[in-house]
Amino acid sequence: MRILSRNNNWRVFFFVLALAWLQTGMAFAQQIRAVATWPALADITRQVGKELVNVESLATGVEDAHGVPIRPSFVPRLNRADVLVLIGLDDEQTWLPALLEVANNSKILPGRAGYIDCSLGISVLETPIRVDRAEGDVHPKGNPHYLLDPVRAKIVARNIATGLTRNFPQHQQSFEKNLKAYIAELDSWIGRWEKLATPLRGVKFVDYHPEWIYLADRFGMKVVGSVELRPGIEPSPNHLVELVQQIKQEKARLLIYGAQNPRIPQQIANETRIKLVRLYSGGGSQPETDTYIKWIDYTVRTLVQSVS
Amino acid sequence: MLLAWIKPRQTAALYLLGVSLLLPAQCLAQSSELESLKATVKGMEQQLQKALSRIEQLEKEKAVDSAKLGQVEKSVQAVQSAPSILNPAIGLVLDGTVEKLGQAGGNFNFRAAELGLSASVDPYARMYGFFTGSNNGVDVEEAAAITTSLPWNLTAKGGRFFADFGRFPKYHIHELPFVNEPLSIDRMVGGESQADGAEINYLFPTPFFLRATFGGYNKIGADNEQVDNLKPRSGSRFTYLGRLHTYFDLTDNHGIDLGTSLAYTPSVRLPGDASGGDRILTGVDLTYRYQPLASTLYQGFTWGSEFYTNSQRFPFDIEVPNPDDPSILETQSVGKRRRSYGGYSYVELKLNRSWSTGFLFDYAPIVDNPSQRTLSYSPYLTWYLSEFNRLRFQYSYLSNNFSADKAEKGNQFFVQWTTVIGAHTHGFVTR
Repeated sequence: MRILSRNNNWRVFFFVLALAWLQTGMAFAQQIRAVATWPALADITRQVGKELVNVESLATGVEDAHGVPIRPSFVPRLNRADVLVLIGLDDEQTWLPALLEVANNSKILPGRAGYIDCSLGISVLETPIRVDRAEGDVHPKGNPHYLLDPVRAKIVARNIATGLTRNFPQHQQSFEKNLKAYIAELDSWIGRWEKLATPLRGVKFVDYHPEWIYLADRFGMKVVGSVELRPGIEPSPNHLVELVQQIKQEKARLLIYGAQNPRIPQQIANETRIKLVRLYSGGGSQPETDTYIKWIDYTVRTLVQSVS
Repeated sequence: MLLAWIKPRQTAALYLLGVSLLLPAQCLAQSSELESLKATVKGMEQQLQKALSRIEQLEKEKAVDSAKLGQVEKSVQAVQSAPSILNPAIGLVLDGTVEKLGQAGGNFNFRAAELGLSASVDPYARMYGFFTGSNNGVDVEEAAAITTSLPWNLTAKGGRFFADFGRFPKYHIHELPFVNEPLSIDRMVGGESQADGAEINYLFPTPFFLRATFGGYNKIGADNEQVDNLKPRSGSRFTYLGRLHTYFDLTDNHGIDLGTSLAYTPSVRLPGDASGGDRILTGVDLTYRYQPLASTLYQGFTWGSEFYTNSQRFPFDIEVPNPDDPSILETQSVGKRRRSYGGYSYVELKLNRSWSTGFLFDYAPIVDNPSQRTLSYSPYLTWYLSEFNRLRFQYSYLSNNFSADKAEKGNQFFVQWTTVIGAHTHGFVTR
């Protein structure tokens, strides 16, 4: 006996189709859930995705890149994410893999479509010739702090647009349009920053951890030493003595530190009268740095004021 | 004539007057034109300068890029020809102590050399293994496969691994914040929660972290001798586990982990207790962390505690009169249920990037005779020379209310040195 007549079959078919359509409509109505590892990346994602994307940042921007706590409260965010936007070059190596391990979200695992590694196509500086822990906490793929260069940030924005398009091709036009507008805005700011940063050309400085190389490269500053003995290794007394001599010989004008303890920079400043500048290399740490552009603007202005 | 004479003079004077009047205006016009030309030239000069510096910058970038490209090409060629390209990440941990254990004396204790391997199996699973060589020989501490793509927020794990019971029972000993595993874990759980079996994890779709684990194993506990790991058994002789783990951020800088675990074995039969009975091992773990985000590498405070209960039947000897001759007492083995309670609590303070200090209190009952217990008090100091090189100094005082072995009572001193080479991580569980 036929349970459903031919008409009934069609009714069921259209009912299922309507349900599917409704579900698709609901899915379209939902925003894309993006999780970025750092606030500056979250902002660039927001600029590229605009109203289509709901972005959350895991780190707040005040953390040392090597000291972001593995907080289980990050896990539900990663679990629900459609895309994960990250710096790459092993910048998040100490905390992100452990979280991805329990986030149960295969969409955002390395190599999958939702894993947006912003370092693709970036011309990386300080790629180590010798990868050995005797050299400290080296990043085998090179220095990951490239976001401090606004020119390279344009590549980051492009990578984010490509990543979002890969996952949501239906919004490609919007992403491209937003990307163009953002790159144009960045270009206009880059022109202003280059003018503003003229006094920084040739300025010699010391960093605590090698995280300012991209900014220095862009604006013509010169790093003459680091407080750390090797990246990630606290300085020995001998190293500090040598550094003080080096600062005096090279006439370094600034010591830039961020999430590190100010005690040692203060000691060095007492001996050398070098000017201390506290700046965070993650962005978003203060209200005046809550967007990428505001962060770079604040950073450049602070440095210029410091040498004026 | 005069007119004729005056006329040329007047004409000349008028000419001179006109010239003198017109010249400044002309000069002025010429000067403003010059200024404008100068400004244009200056502007062009600035633009040229800017263009030159931009070209210089681009050339620099191009040079860097070509150099990088060369390096990348070389490394790609090297990688393509390397037969080890698909090898897993490898790490080795060396953990040793110099110790003086009460009246038993001192010793150089080679505690472990742990070789760790991990890699993806395929798009659906990853695998890891930890192989430990110690004074007791070589042991597969863990070797397990974990799914990576199961739907519905599920993860499955199978093999030999540390069962998801409590917090520190699933830590490898060298990962602990103090030198030794708390005696309460050793006596109540049976050491590290090593188990051969399978587990399923479920991550609740809640806005806060809530995770459940269900597992089935031959037994739990690396040193648990109550159950034969190799002998086939009925369903009632396996150990079944359930755990719930949650976490709350109190603020950006403060967080609390809370977990509760139950390991249930329906039937445990120990020699001398023919009837046997179930074993119920429970645990509650609470960890509070203060991690100021702006200085996580320099400051921090942790308070962690675990409380365990164990309920199971143990055989013990009683003297009963001989039925034929009541004057003769005979030793008979009977089973009796024993409930024991124990646990530890510790605090740890990060003093700066390299140093931290802490204090551990441990209450460890003997599970088959809970009236006997060991209390231990252990202050310790840790020096991190780097992330991969650590020295620890610990003093422990052990107080027993029974006659304990010489090495398990009184004052104990330890200097522990732990070093790591290669890739080494025990993942989320040891965060």
